[in-house]
Amino acid sequence: MSLATSARLARRELRGGLAGFRIFLLCLALGVGAIAAVGTVRAAIESGLAREGRALLGGDAELRLTYRFADESERAWMASEATAMAEVVEFRSMAVTGAGERALTQVKAVDGAWPLIGTATFEPAMNIATVLAGRGGLPGAAMDPVLIDRLELSVGDTFRLGRQDFALMAAVLREPDSIGTSFGLGPRTLVAAAALENSGLIGPGTLFDTSYRLTLREGDTLQQLRQSLNTAFPDAGIRWRDSSSAEPNIARFVDRLGAFLVLVGLAGLAVGGVGVSAAVRSYLDAKTPVIATLKTLGAEGRTIFTIYFLQIGILTVLGVVAGLVLGAGAVALAAPLVQAQVPVPMAVGFYPGPLLEAAVYGVLTALVFTLWPLARVQDVRAAALYRGIGTESRAWPRAWALVWLALALSALIGASVWFSGIWMLALGTAGGIAGSLVLLFGAALGVRALARRLARSRMLRGRTALRLAMGAVGNPREGAVAVVLSLGLGLTVLATVGQIDANLRAAISTQLPDRAPSFFFLDIQPAQIDAFTAQLRATDGVNDIDTAPQLRGVITRINGRSTSEFPEHWVLHGDRGLTYAAEQGSVTVTEGDWWPADYDGPPLVSFGADEGRELGLSLGDTITVNVLGREVTGTIANFRELDFRSGGIGFVMTFSPNAFSGAPHTFIATVNADRNVEGAVLRALGEAFPNVTAIPIRETAQRFAEALSTLAAATSMAALATLATGFVVLIGAAAAGERARIFEAAVLKTLGATRGQILASFALRSALMGAAAGLVAIGAGAVSAWAVLTQVMDLSYRFEPVSALLIVAGGVLAVLLAGLGFAARPLAARPAGVLRAQE
Amino acid sequence: MNAPVSSLPVLTLENACLTLQGNAGPVDILHGISLEIEQGQSVGLVGPSGSGKSSLLMLLGGLEQATSGSVVALGQDLTAMNEDALARFRRNKMGVVFQSFHLIPTMTALENVATPLELAGHADAFKRAEEELRAVGLGARMHHYPAQMSGGEQQRVALARAAAPRPAILLADEPTGNLDGVNGQAIMDLLFGLRDRHGATLVLVTHAPELAVLCDRIVHLRDGRIEGETNPAETRDAEPRVSAPRVSAPRDSAPRDSGAVA
Repeated sequence: MSLATSARLARRELRGGLAGFRIFLLCLALGVGAIAAVGTVRAAIESGLAREGRALLGGDAELRLTYRFADESERAWMASEATAMAEVVEFRSMAVTGAGERALTQVKAVDGAWPLIGTATFEPAMNIATVLAGRGGLPGAAMDPVLIDRLELSVGDTFRLGRQDFALMAAVLREPDSIGTSFGLGPRTLVAAAALENSGLIGPGTLFDTSYRLTLREGDTLQQLRQSLNTAFPDAGIRWRDSSSAEPNIARFVDRLGAFLVLVGLAGLAVGGVGVSAAVRSYLDAKTPVIATLKTLGAEGRTIFTIYFLQIGILTVLGVVAGLVLGAGAVALAAPLVQAQVPVPMAVGFYPGPLLEAAVYGVLTALVFTLWPLARVQDVRAAALYRGIGTESRAWPRAWALVWLALALSALIGASVWFSGIWMLALGTAGGIAGSLVLLFGAALGVRALARRLARSRMLRGRTALRLAMGAVGNPREGAVAVVLSLGLGLTVLATVGQIDANLRAAISTQLPDRAPSFFFLDIQPAQIDAFTAQLRATDGVNDIDTAPQLRGVITRINGRSTSEFPEHWVLHGDRGLTYAAEQGSVTVTEGDWWPADYDGPPLVSFGADEGRELGLSLGDTITVNVLGREVTGTIANFRELDFRSGGIGFVMTFSPNAFSGAPHTFIATVNADRNVEGAVLRALGEAFPNVTAIPIRETAQRFAEALSTLAAATSMAALATLATGFVVLIGAAAAGERARIFEAAVLKTLGATRGQILASFALRSALMGAAAGLVAIGAGAVSAWAVLTQVMDLSYRFEPVSALLIVAGGVLAVLLAGLGFAARPLAARPAGVLRAQE
Repeated sequence: MNAPVSSLPVLTLENACLTLQGNAGPVDILHGISLEIEQGQSVGLVGPSGSGKSSLLMLLGGLEQATSGSVVALGQDLTAMNEDALARFRRNKMGVVFQSFHLIPTMTALENVATPLELAGHADAFKRAEEELRAVGLGARMHHYPAQMSGGEQQRVALARAAAPRPAILLADEPTGNLDGVNGQAIMDLLFGLRDRHGATLVLVTHAPELAVLCDRIVHLRDGRIEGETNPAETRDAEPRVSAPRVSAPRDSAPRDSGAVA
């Protein structure tokens, strides 16, 4: 029996048309489409970032320094190795108006060469030189429109940074080398670096970053330039970025978010899989006489399997292709909309990679969800042609099919791990989906059994509508399993997102202000710290002050090995705040001992316990940090608890006090004040210490919450795709049951039931199944939200009833809508016509 | 060509039992059936509804596996074969006709008839299928789908399909049950004609006494047991007006009386 014959028979079978496969195709196409769309957007952003790399960086390469400017030798190196160089200084400060309004701003001070690539746009339109030149003897500045509004300034007004006045020349609309301003602390103020000389803001110990953007000489490569830099200044603590990864943080963020959303999309595909499975089951059920006939005519089990496997295979390819067209097409159509929403450049186009990824997911999901029913076709008995009894094929497919099923499932999970690159999240998602499906399947069977019992109980006698509804839900043919599975899984995803979102919001809006200080103060000079604390202590309403010396440095080596050899960890990424202390104070040491207050030996370090564990550190290990170009190596003396959630001062590394003796540094302070005096405290300190930067915690938390809600919104969109697929499955189940309901309604009418009673019975059964799906979704959603919040985010979890109730209500409503949408024909059908046709 | 009759048993049942597992528990369908059918014989299975006629026919066709006892067809023990082996056996040796035709709705008449030949790997499946359809008088309807044909035409397609592989055994389960008298008569003529032309053994389930008397033997079933057997030749002699005039006239083209009587 050749494959060609099977293929021929399969083709003849498919002549029946695709009408019976609408749900199959829609489920597959929606699931694949969502994944293809997410993947295409991600690829477009990544490609946009790469394309605009030079402009975003503001040059071919960037050298970044902390707290200092390049020295003479470094400048000489740049002059000899690059064709052009632009210097940019960035720091946080307070902008103050003549009216006394003050606001945190991120200052960017540039030289005359900036920007090397692209142009900055201002309102009113002018060039950068005009902006910086200023007017009336004052240096010029441009500000983010948000900041102009906040300070109630208009173009032409004067404001002050530190001790220097500036003329506001324009609003800055676009900087070619900045896309991440919204992620920074405070909106932008753009000034000339030379104008800051007398501001008192930039000096030894103050917190500022300098970056030098360079353009390559003809014929040079980035690699050569980098090697030359490393040779010339091996230990200068110079950080390197180049146009191949201009925005590594954003690229990483987009990559992670994309991978996460694809995994959410995978949940949608799993929902679609439930619909696909149900569609194939009902198709094959209807084909039982044909299969039995083929067996009678001499077809072997394997031939039968091949015939139907090929049919489903062809349909799978159709569904997947439709999904790819849908996903890629949707992105292409919505590109202008999406581009307006994201602050990063997108290069919309055709990206085969993400489409291939979506196709692989689609094919494997179809395989996983159809192998079981397909494998059972070969057990259809020829005797099915003349009787119904005893021909039900056995519940379990044969061993080979189970092996293939396991292989396909492993391939699917393996693919998600491979494609996402985040194996823990991928496995967690796979486990979550599988766990939810098992839970939902159990719940569906439970609901069915319970409904059957209730339908027969004495309690419901006389309540006809309810008894009929229970009977229907309890009937294996009513599709309760498919409804609860598909809707339940969609709702579970939504419930998880809802619970996490609500918990995060609660954590930010209610928990933080109770414990957190009102302000962070930065850049307090050593000479100012005593006067600063004294003034605060003298202010009524100030409850708590905490200060610590601060330096910033980059960890360069652990136990003498370069940090580039270690797996990525945020502590190793960029520069960190460092402090020193003689006394242990209120911190809890988890391992090792604090040093004596008068310790004067080689530098010792107290390291954050969790971070140390993640980095695989133990007592006695050495940490080398580069502070202002100087390398300091400390030995880990103890590990201590760090609680970032308290909002207090939390340094990963605290050194023994002798480690940085003589190094210029500043102090930071946290201040807890009553809300009604916050404004007064800020004004008084601002006047006395104009160089000190205040960060209002509540405002920052608000900004953080906004960023989180954007994330939650993106996740909800992906979850909605899941729900839409679930709804398609619902409609499929409702449509499949329509004929049975027409007959049921006809019989009931004959027996004297009114249309109202019949409708009530239909509505009740829908509501029951929806409620069951919703309740399980809440349970599964709560468990997965708990896992994400407590195990991944290290936060506490509290059940959020409002979002949960919405989920159940939504579930009931969805099933009601799908069910009642198909109630019209059963209600309208005249019994005589229906019952005559049934004979 | 007359049907040759020899003493060689083509189908042998020995103490065959059939019990099915229903939702409400096991149901005994057939009890200790022993029967021997010789090559070229035509046997009618008759009995009231639920007597086990169809089940016995399915047992003979290997569409049903005996719970105990033995079923031997053409020297092969069907009870020892699995579903696939049975399918291969049927493909080459048996043709089955059902009361409700069971044509595959997505295939044309021609494709329906060609299917068993294709399954058996015959390269000339379609050519042979065309010949078979012409032989049952449907040369003009080859490319029609079952839904476009009358019941009688559909059953003729089913007959052509069953006969196409030249099976040694033809099994028919109430082949005229869904047809009116005229169509039923035409089908019976074709069925017996096919049997005669190919020398096949024919086992026929029927409710209609006037069809049963056309067979060489009539086996009576009741409650899953063989109640007895009659010789239709005697019946025909005793009551010639019941069947002889109606059955002999249309089947002139395929004389079979000599074989049947012998």
